[in-house]
Amino acid sequence: MIATYIFGRVLSAVPTILILTFIVFLAIHLVPGDYIDIMLGTQNYLTDEQLSGLYKQYGLDKPFVVQYGIWLKNLITFNFGTSLRTGQKVSAMILEKLPVTFELAFFALFFSLVFGIPLGITSAVKRNRFGDYVVRVLGLIGLSAPTFWIGAILIVAVSGLFQDYTLFGFVSFQKDMAKNLQILLIPSLTLGLMLAAQIMRMARSSMLDVLSQEYVKVAKAKGVSTWKVIYRHALKNAMIPVITTAGIQFGYLMGGTILIENMFALPGLGRLLLQSVNQRDYPVIQGVVLFTGVFIVLMNILVDILYTLIDPRIDLR
Amino acid sequence: MKKSLLFLLVLTVFFSFCFGARAGGDLKFAVQVEPAGFDPNLATAFGSHRLLEHVYEGLLSFNENMDIVPGLAESFEVPEPTKIVFHLRKNVLFHDGTPFTAEDVLYTFKRIQDPAFASPAASYYTEVSSITAPDPYTVVFTLKVPMVNSLLLNFAGVNSAIVCKKTVESGVNMQLQTNGTGPFKLKEYAAGNYIALQKNERYYVPGLPLLDSLTFVVIPEEISRSSALRNADVQMAQIMEPLSLNTFPAQRFVTYRVSTLPYLLLGINNAAKPFDNVLVRRALSYAINREELVEMVAFGEGTVTGPLNPSLKTWALLPEAFDEYSYNPEKAKALLKEAGYPNGFSFEAVTYAQYSLDKIGEAIQAQLALVGIQMKVDVAEFGIFVKRWREIDFQTFLSLNGGSTEPDIQFYRTFKSDGATNKFNFKNAKVDELLEKGRQALDLEERVEIYRALQRLLVEENPFLFLYSPNNLYVSLPEVKGFVPMSNQSLIMLKKTWLDK
Repeated sequence: MIATYIFGRVLSAVPTILILTFIVFLAIHLVPGDYIDIMLGTQNYLTDEQLSGLYKQYGLDKPFVVQYGIWLKNLITFNFGTSLRTGQKVSAMILEKLPVTFELAFFALFFSLVFGIPLGITSAVKRNRFGDYVVRVLGLIGLSAPTFWIGAILIVAVSGLFQDYTLFGFVSFQKDMAKNLQILLIPSLTLGLMLAAQIMRMARSSMLDVLSQEYVKVAKAKGVSTWKVIYRHALKNAMIPVITTAGIQFGYLMGGTILIENMFALPGLGRLLLQSVNQRDYPVIQGVVLFTGVFIVLMNILVDILYTLIDPRIDLR
Repeated sequence: MKKSLLFLLVLTVFFSFCFGARAGGDLKFAVQVEPAGFDPNLATAFGSHRLLEHVYEGLLSFNENMDIVPGLAESFEVPEPTKIVFHLRKNVLFHDGTPFTAEDVLYTFKRIQDPAFASPAASYYTEVSSITAPDPYTVVFTLKVPMVNSLLLNFAGVNSAIVCKKTVESGVNMQLQTNGTGPFKLKEYAAGNYIALQKNERYYVPGLPLLDSLTFVVIPEEISRSSALRNADVQMAQIMEPLSLNTFPAQRFVTYRVSTLPYLLLGINNAAKPFDNVLVRRALSYAINREELVEMVAFGEGTVTGPLNPSLKTWALLPEAFDEYSYNPEKAKALLKEAGYPNGFSFEAVTYAQYSLDKIGEAIQAQLALVGIQMKVDVAEFGIFVKRWREIDFQTFLSLNGGSTEPDIQFYRTFKSDGATNKFNFKNAKVDELLEKGRQALDLEERVEIYRALQRLLVEENPFLFLYSPNNLYVSLPEVKGFVPMSNQSLIMLKKTWLDK
């Protein structure tokens, strides 16, 4: 049953993703300045003949719709094209960057849940008391302070306080686990703090909502202790919106966290996308957008399935 | 007694020279941008050039003082004004062990000149009529026009580096793989992260390179790059913002600075009103305080430049030689009045957010306001800027132009009426004539005279305003020795760099 459900969802997502790739293709081609312009910059000494040779070589002489058609045609055979800039296969480039972004997103989400959920619950339970105010002010700071600012502060603070702490020079998890975790700690914390604020607010409001329900009141009236009420009865129900938020956030994070990756020099998808847009490396942009689109759709399906595990009343059929 | 002391001193100096530089060690160098493609005959990206110059080599090269020195050619001669004969080094091996011969040189230049290949270097060699190899270690270039002087420099550029015929013909993707003759060979490229180079044990200069390995760590953000150096995650870093230097105390770090050949300019569309009037262009020159730009924007890390960089002592007329380069708002106002704009005018300058161009724009804006000229600065995305530049869709622009040690290269493409990068709508018969004369003259004194006359004419005409040349800045830990930054932004002196620890 669940298999049919997933299949249906995936199938219905195909047109959405195609429209997405088309819009991105259109948008990036509408921006003035193409790949050749940027490659040559203002040191362009080529004759018109040489220039048109370049356009032809990169297949950029064809009309936009034809270029999109060729891309689609190749896609059917799982050929994502090659980067104009480096000559590498787009699929290889994405696969190479994927683990970095995945790890970053994973730890950021981990931190956001670890900080966000307990704080949100505490804040809801201690509503309008001192603890609540502290948490809410912290949440507001987390939401409004830009990540690049928090990141810069953390870089200066950590490198100033701990002279031996290695912040830069990413190594993969397989190669050197300790160093990998050390390098990813600060960036994922930076990212996690911002997300924690969102998770916290979501957890708080949904907890407040649940706490005002009749069955919670009944439980309390029966003399069950506050924390037991929260843990046994309220928490599960309050978690559904939190999981939705976290799931969607994870999808977005996988699209690459451009600012953080750039700031901490992490070789992830976000920096790949940024570079590709700056250089108008069309196949790579398309590849990353396609990948992100598919990932977000899958994440949404996963969240829906998680609902059924938390709340048996939800039936995917 | 004195004599023997002197002898001892000489001996000490001699030995410290011989044995001071120790071989071995691994250097990590933090850079801002990463390479885009490894094919030396194709790559245009700054990051590619800074990497490939260690892996590949041209027939000629530059030394620390930017003099042309032998590269893969151990010598060359010019038997007649339209002929260059290169004598190639023997016993040079490519990294895969293939011997280097004239075949590879012929093949490389055939590749560069192939229109379908579209090499950015192709335009340098349009005046070359034939390239032949009478024997495996001699290559002869025959030219259509006598322009040996301006051609020679190109042989030292990365885009003219020699590739291995065997490797290219085997069909490998040269944008992804390398096989050069340079002091280092490519070991590993982790995209977006680092590029690791390894010592070429069979390099033809005995004893070089000194380092066992050289790793370029890519860290795009300045604050992160400086932090990495302060925490010794890297031993050396490229610094883009002069302000960052304050965070590196001189007791613990070594700062390297060099005035570069590229120059910042206020480009002008000479056909657009009111800039079609030379008096207006001249007024701009008087109204802009270049010294103040260097102080305010570059915190002193730059050199005011005329049409040629002041470091080119043989050729350049210093900015002080030109009255137009002095800051004189009164004179600017008078010229504006004479041109029919007593109340000034307003115009737009398009630029992009690199090389502090946006800040230069703001500073010039404030300076011009003092003489009644309203300047609007449009900071565009780079791709948009390039398109507007290419289509001459601007009144003025602010940008950075590449410079050269050879006046012909600096001027010909920029100021010739039909020059490839003359996007200024600048047409001047006298300038064209001097450009042709300078290109074809062979006698140094004669050429110097021609280019001095040209510089004077350019300052008078002011087709655009030369502002200043920014310094290139690097900072290292004290253990890094022997590095010399070069004005063409090349890092090739890393082959003589060593670690003292």
